[in-house]
Amino acid sequence: MRRAPVALTAALLIAPLLAACGGDDDGPFITVYNAQHEELLEEVAPIFEEETGIEVKLRSGKDLELANQLVQEGDASPADVFLTENSPAMTLVDNAGLFEPIDDETLALVPPQFSPSDKSWLGFIARSTVMVYNTDALSEDELPTSLMDLAQPEWASRVAFSPTGADFQAIVSAVVATQGEEAARSWIQSLADNGTVLENNLVVMKAVNDGEVDAGIIYHYYWYRDQKESGENSDSSQLHFFGDQDPGAFLSVSGAGVLAASDKREDAQAFVEFLAGEEGQQAIADSYALEYPLNPAVSLEPPVKPFSELEPPAIDVSTLNSEVVVQMMQDVGLL
Amino acid sequence: MGALALVPLGFVVVYTALIGPGDAWDLVARPRVGELLGNTVTLVVGCTATCTALGVGCAWLVERTDVPLSRVWHGLLVAPLAVPAFVNSYSWASLVPGIHGFTGALVVITLSYYPLVYLPVVAVLRGLDPALEEAAYSLGHSRARTFARVVLPQLRPAVLGGCLLVSLHLLAEFGALQMLQFPTFTTAIYDQYGSTFNGEAANMLASVLVLLCMLILLAELRLRGRRRYARVARGAARPVEIIRLGGGRGPLTLVLAAVVALAVGLPAYSLVHWLRVGSSTEFPVGELAAAAGTSLGLGAAAAAATVVLAMPAAWLAVRYPGLTSNLVERSTYVANALPGIVVALALVTVSIRAVQPIYQTYVLLLLAYAIMFLPRAVVSVRAALEQAPVLLDEVAHSLGVGSLATVRRVTLPIIAPGIGAGAALVFLAVSTELTATLMLAPIDTTTLATRFWAESSSVAYGAAAPYALLMVLISIPAAVLLGRHASLSSPWEAPR
Amino acid sequence: MTRLELRGVSKSFTDVRAVAAVDLTVPHDSVTAVLGPSGCGKTTLLRLIAGFVVPEAGTIRFGDVVVAGDGRALPPQQRKVGYVPQEGALFPHLDVAANIAFGLPRSQRRSARVGEVLDLVELPAAFGSRYPHQLSGGQQQRVALARALAPEPSVVLLDEPFSSLDASLRASTGRAVLRALRVAHATAVLVTHDQDEALSLADQVAVMREGKVVQAATPREIYRSPVDAGVARFVGGAAMLPAAVRAGVASTALGELPVAGDVGDGAAEVLVRPEQVLIGAGAATVKARVDEVAYYGHDASVTLTVLPDGPVVVARAGGLDVPEVGATVTVSVAGPVVVFP
Repeated sequence: MRRAPVALTAALLIAPLLAACGGDDDGPFITVYNAQHEELLEEVAPIFEEETGIEVKLRSGKDLELANQLVQEGDASPADVFLTENSPAMTLVDNAGLFEPIDDETLALVPPQFSPSDKSWLGFIARSTVMVYNTDALSEDELPTSLMDLAQPEWASRVAFSPTGADFQAIVSAVVATQGEEAARSWIQSLADNGTVLENNLVVMKAVNDGEVDAGIIYHYYWYRDQKESGENSDSSQLHFFGDQDPGAFLSVSGAGVLAASDKREDAQAFVEFLAGEEGQQAIADSYALEYPLNPAVSLEPPVKPFSELEPPAIDVSTLNSEVVVQMMQDVGLL
Repeated sequence: MGALALVPLGFVVVYTALIGPGDAWDLVARPRVGELLGNTVTLVVGCTATCTALGVGCAWLVERTDVPLSRVWHGLLVAPLAVPAFVNSYSWASLVPGIHGFTGALVVITLSYYPLVYLPVVAVLRGLDPALEEAAYSLGHSRARTFARVVLPQLRPAVLGGCLLVSLHLLAEFGALQMLQFPTFTTAIYDQYGSTFNGEAANMLASVLVLLCMLILLAELRLRGRRRYARVARGAARPVEIIRLGGGRGPLTLVLAAVVALAVGLPAYSLVHWLRVGSSTEFPVGELAAAAGTSLGLGAAAAAATVVLAMPAAWLAVRYPGLTSNLVERSTYVANALPGIVVALALVTVSIRAVQPIYQTYVLLLLAYAIMFLPRAVVSVRAALEQAPVLLDEVAHSLGVGSLATVRRVTLPIIAPGIGAGAALVFLAVSTELTATLMLAPIDTTTLATRFWAESSSVAYGAAAPYALLMVLISIPAAVLLGRHASLSSPWEAPR
Repeated sequence: MTRLELRGVSKSFTDVRAVAAVDLTVPHDSVTAVLGPSGCGKTTLLRLIAGFVVPEAGTIRFGDVVVAGDGRALPPQQRKVGYVPQEGALFPHLDVAANIAFGLPRSQRRSARVGEVLDLVELPAAFGSRYPHQLSGGQQQRVALARALAPEPSVVLLDEPFSSLDASLRASTGRAVLRALRVAHATAVLVTHDQDEALSLADQVAVMREGKVVQAATPREIYRSPVDAGVARFVGGAAMLPAAVRAGVASTALGELPVAGDVGDGAAEVLVRPEQVLIGAGAATVKARVDEVAYYGHDASVTLTVLPDGPVVVARAGGLDVPEVGATVTVSVAGPVVVFP
């Protein structure tokens, strides 16, 4: 009897180790550091695996945690491909010189404004900045025409946002890019003074839906997904899309990059090509994700506002979230 | 082991040094840092105070009064141990709109952590010699005064030990506080890693956190005072007097019921609610079972490994008390107060260079768990070792029994409950760990925590709920073990 | 059992000489009490015999076997000592029977030996299944002794075994333990700071002071003929009176007293035990005032100031005839007195 726990412990200790050895099967595979939602990849990757016979192994995590991990790993990284939700994480890895350029044919699959000029990575899906508002608190004619309006006194204490995530920082850098540093600084200062700081986009959406604040700044898919899930956190609210190249219409891009240290760069390039290709993009469009495919041949189903109706400002994705933005946000106490 | 535990600390120190003192100062002397310091300190002070009040109060009601069904209450009061703090805050956040900021954090953290004070206090209350209280009554002290002047001082080491665990957990707590939108150093560190250029700023915040941790350790050492070594049983203790609550019995029972309802009932209700409401709620039995199996296996293996690694540090601290052994033991606490992301990145940096063959294998992952959760094991193993004084070894030797046989026949059986408790605490932490698991686990490893995170971050609340529920379920045995450990009036009582 | 012999045994701890060149012989089948104030080195002496501490110099023999000395020291587990520490230190996770059987070889653990030694320490056999925390302090000490005796050790060592018991239990437990030691024909060393315990239980008392054994003798000899004033004061009540000795007679405040033994003339100190001081007897002429009376029933302890102004002496008065506090009485000293030059 006394031996039983010892044997059990030993078995538990050894079992995973054995599993680790046995798990590395024969066929070709690529390792993807994936900051995209895991479920999205679980819907898309199997198609690629079926067609090419290349297994896609996912290490899922958060944008900048994985980006920092890649930087720390450097040349020794086991990763072949890096996928993110927002472009700043790509920029972090790119600045460390860890990417190799994406194949030109692949880059040609999406409009050029969604990839950086140095071609070191590729934007393959996008999410639109939106204002979510509580329909009891605001009517349609009260909605602002520009994101910049939210700095006005009449919006004091009525707008929620989540400054700490990469999402909002990308939006601020869009403001810097379109309005200039001076205007951006005074805008973020008023927002810091008057706005309600919440922890993440989900909380912002919930707070708006629950009537705690009138409106909030989020990305479009949070609201559509909640509608699809249960509506519990979105049924009392609506989305307002800014237009006219307003910074509030900013599109944040999810990137895909190939690691220069990879010894499977060909397969890695093939995977990125698949993600941007028609088949991959269609699989993304058909998934629960509700993010915009960037290949013009593919579009999202209603009720999501069509990509063609968006009027985003033109911004170089690789310049986003510069040190200036972080410094600015630190100065006003948001970071 | 001490050296291993210092890897994350070294990482922070080296990075701070690389930044240079001027820039480092600029990063630390920001208004934001002051605000975070204020938040963190208030939360630590507030939570240890409320956890102490709740833990001591509940323990007293259950152990020393005629409150009905005290055994049942004991079981229920320990149950929050099985509910991960972030699941608890997820429940609160989804059911009670507006529960955020300091109040929200205080409520949720207290309801999640108070068992860490409750358990050791229950154990001490049971072992108290009633003669001391009788002496106080005979000196004309009222019941309340006796409790304050005689009982409380005897509870001090237990309360301090519990508070130490609460505050260290709190320093590193991320998931729960992020969901409740109460920024502390740890949430800010995660945020900083979330800003492209701010690895340095994050490390500076981490170094402030290290200083805070050291302050807490120092404070605990000072407050603990001269350690009382456990005495070997000294004669049959009389059963303690059970205090009749009289008219207070009903209301006080309701208080216990309220604590249990808030700490256990609410998260349970919330999970069930999401299971029923969410359209994405499905039971992919295979995936659930696989993730649960991995979590169980990792938790058990890490618990075993951590306890084994904790033994030498605890042994040194108990058997050879002195500056060095204190330093070795205390050094193991630092990693516990650092956020998972700092520990994980430190291990990424060091291991990919030093021991690449084990990078992203279970060996490294278990090592990471051990480094992060060593203090939990050290605290318990140490307390257990204090129950096994050198004197017993000497008696065994004098009876002709050699050293190894003494360990087998005397020391191990006596410290077994403490080892079990330490292992259970580590298991509870590992089965909910996220950041290090994501970074360091072998590829394709899915645990309940990683699945919960993946599902809940994509707004699939319903799909996340089964994983949360399973996390609670696999934690129950560990919670029961911890409850039982305290519930034996003496850990060595004859089996009934 | 065997004779225990220590020759020139010394041990220091960082600067402090705990045990200094101790010689001591404990004959076979006898009990020696090591008596001394705390810090005198008596516990270290015991630990040296047990083997928990290794001496720097000197030899310890169990019979003909050298257990320490000549450059070697047997570890405690090979010495066959029975050790009874201060608070019994029973193994808390084992019941009484398992505690007692702990030192027995596996084959004997279920034998009748456990019952035998339980009987020896006058505990019923049913106690075997109890756990230490279910026993009173005195019972725990007896079990600890039974555990020590079970493997038939060469030497039994008791480290202040009764100090944690209350007074009534102390005396009865002490006698029970002694009976058990006698029946087992044990060679035993009992460390104590309690002179009554030492005098009443032991065959030989070794008085220790500052790491040295200053006198080792029978209890009677220790009491009646202490080697110096220190031993005299430590063992039993004692008044030391200044005196001038001449031709076998000491002149003191209590009169002219005959001197025991051969002592040269000159100034000296005289030891007067309470039972030598008689109140109101015969032709006493020395007057004293009664300052304090402690009444015990069978007798009383009377503190007196010799008039006009001292010295203070203590007399033991019979329980039937106790003077009042404040009364003036006459005192005299019975029998020859011990003199320290």
